[in-house]
Amino acid sequence: MPRRVTTSVAAAHEADAERRHEHRFQVSESIARLVMRTTANNLPLSRDDRPYQWSTTTYCDTLNWSIFRAAQKGSAMQLRIREYHRTRPQGVMNPGPAWIEFKDDEEDTSLKERFGVSMDVARSFLRGETALPDPDHGLAERAGRLLKDGARPVVVTQYNRLAYNSLDSSVRITADHNLMYFALPWEARDDNDQPSPLGSLLAMEPDVIVEMKWYGELPHWAVDLHAYLKENTHEERPSKFIVAMRWLLGETDGAKKKKK
Amino acid sequence: MKAVEEAIRSDAPATRVVVVEDDQASADVLQRRLQANGMVVSVAHDGRRGIELVEELLPDLVLLDVMLPDTDGYDVCLRIKSNSATAPIPVIFLSARGEVVDKVRGLSCGAADYITKPFQAAELLARIDAVLGQARNPRVPRLGRSAERAAGERRVARVAIVDGALRAHVEQLLGTRFDLAEDSDTPDVVVLEGNASLPADAPEDVAVVRVTAGRVSDDRTEIVPVDAQLPRIVDLTVRERGLDHDLQSAAEALIVLAAAIASHDRPSTGHTERVAARAVQIGRALGLDESTRMTIRLGALLRDVGHARLPGSLLAKSGELSPDERAMLERHPVLGEEILAGFKRLSGLLPIVRHHHERLDGTGYPDGLRAEQIPLEVRIVTVADRFEALLADRSDRPAVSESEAVRILQGAVARGELDAAVVAALATQVRADGGNERDR
Repeated sequence: MPRRVTTSVAAAHEADAERRHEHRFQVSESIARLVMRTTANNLPLSRDDRPYQWSTTTYCDTLNWSIFRAAQKGSAMQLRIREYHRTRPQGVMNPGPAWIEFKDDEEDTSLKERFGVSMDVARSFLRGETALPDPDHGLAERAGRLLKDGARPVVVTQYNRLAYNSLDSSVRITADHNLMYFALPWEARDDNDQPSPLGSLLAMEPDVIVEMKWYGELPHWAVDLHAYLKENTHEERPSKFIVAMRWLLGETDGAKKKKK
Repeated sequence: MKAVEEAIRSDAPATRVVVVEDDQASADVLQRRLQANGMVVSVAHDGRRGIELVEELLPDLVLLDVMLPDTDGYDVCLRIKSNSATAPIPVIFLSARGEVVDKVRGLSCGAADYITKPFQAAELLARIDAVLGQARNPRVPRLGRSAERAAGERRVARVAIVDGALRAHVEQLLGTRFDLAEDSDTPDVVVLEGNASLPADAPEDVAVVRVTAGRVSDDRTEIVPVDAQLPRIVDLTVRERGLDHDLQSAAEALIVLAAAIASHDRPSTGHTERVAARAVQIGRALGLDESTRMTIRLGALLRDVGHARLPGSLLAKSGELSPDERAMLERHPVLGEEILAGFKRLSGLLPIVRHHHERLDGTGYPDGLRAEQIPLEVRIVTVADRFEALLADRSDRPAVSESEAVRILQGAVARGELDAAVVAALATQVRADGGNERDR
């Protein structure tokens, strides 16, 4: 289950206590509506996610794309900055609240930890000038090593999210609409701390991405929902990070993973 | 093409509207209603065609259905808002979907309004007027912000105010910001009342600000009111004028110089111009402002000016270079910087001239800079240069197609040599142009 604490560096800190299952499905709008209707009958709307707010995630990687290469092999830690806005921002790293997120992905589980900070702190962290506490899983330390190896923001996703969460956070189901992938030019050393304008639109998903995340066993209604999603999905999805990086590097031929 | 041609043929300063609606009957009714209110209307019946029309016509407004045969209106809206050329165009959704989540989703995609069907024509027209009014307003703050940076400075401006009833008032207002130079033969800007004609002795290309004491008409937005905004508008006009003039003069001289140099050391004519044009295109795709794009253009044109100090035999050599010859050739960025260093106005171009052969992974020359040390403008010129070089026949390899050149550059991105976002912007352009097989 996620824990929340406050530290001296971050106004908020959330971390998964253990690895949780994570499955993603790409489905049509009509299927997504049915799925979210069923979900709404069983789970409350997430209190922390305004429905359809814009989520902007800036992913980092190194010059030799070490994070992406590792992710393709099935095991990597994503280092990313997340922002939330009511309307879609045209740039990233905007002034205001931000989340520094670490997400350790394995085959079908993930471990996530994130720190709520101001964007100034997030920028300072990316420059290697601010260290984060590392109370749980050693993710912050791994992130620090990635930054030392030259990891910098390289690609961005933006989408509208509708999120449902069980009260004990054991099950979370989200639907992401309007998912867009953008390139982001490397920031030069003398660039100031202004928001970085988005680069080219790399691609837009035509469908809806439904994600199910859970600890332990799924409740029976969610087992049925999972089976329904599996039957009706266009494809099982790699992470948004992998899809975005494939677009960025022109490796789109391998973007589709066939339905099992 | 019919819709585009019809819209372009229309010379009237009417509001141009693109309607994206798959239902023929609804589209016809809407078109007739808007035309009856003086609007020029072009209709698309699916999302793909709608986006094409918007990009071709750059209308004042888009009316967009949510449910379309090939995609949905949200997707179309996001594509409009993701293209810097079309992003400022307001979009109004017209949809039978009236749930709150639909409206929230539509508005969060960047739409200016969301109207549910069935609607009353009067309400639609009122909302269109409101949205168009809001869309026109941002021009004033944009002018204001720029001029505000000069707050506190008093400048001497050669402002010629043509005689008229408003002269005293205009002089008083402009006097709050400028020390006005009188009797100037070469004014920076001429202030005219309404539709008054330019004085016969005014320079042909002088900037003009037209003013009125009355209400500003919606269809004559070039006429500004005589009020507190006027000094800022004139200030901005004067500044833009000065900048344009300086850069234009410098650019013309430099382009001649660059073309002369390039004609001596490039087997394919026009390569330098193509690199500059390509780099500017990429800069535009990345949202860089006009001034930065001008720097990129001039830098691209002059990047190889250092060749002028190398032996002609070295530049003309077609076979493999010896290590000494390669070392000499790789000095051209430094030599180019030395040549241009004496020109203060060109200081902004020097990083492009010196570093356009650097690579993000530090394996380039002359300084072995790494990613964050190389300015974006330089990275853009580097990509444009390598791309255009691949499209030309060389002694050691034939020309490749644009699509193949992009693939080769993506390989260089994977090796850590080039900026992925810059190559992605180039790839997007090439895809949009159809990735033609160019024969040079």
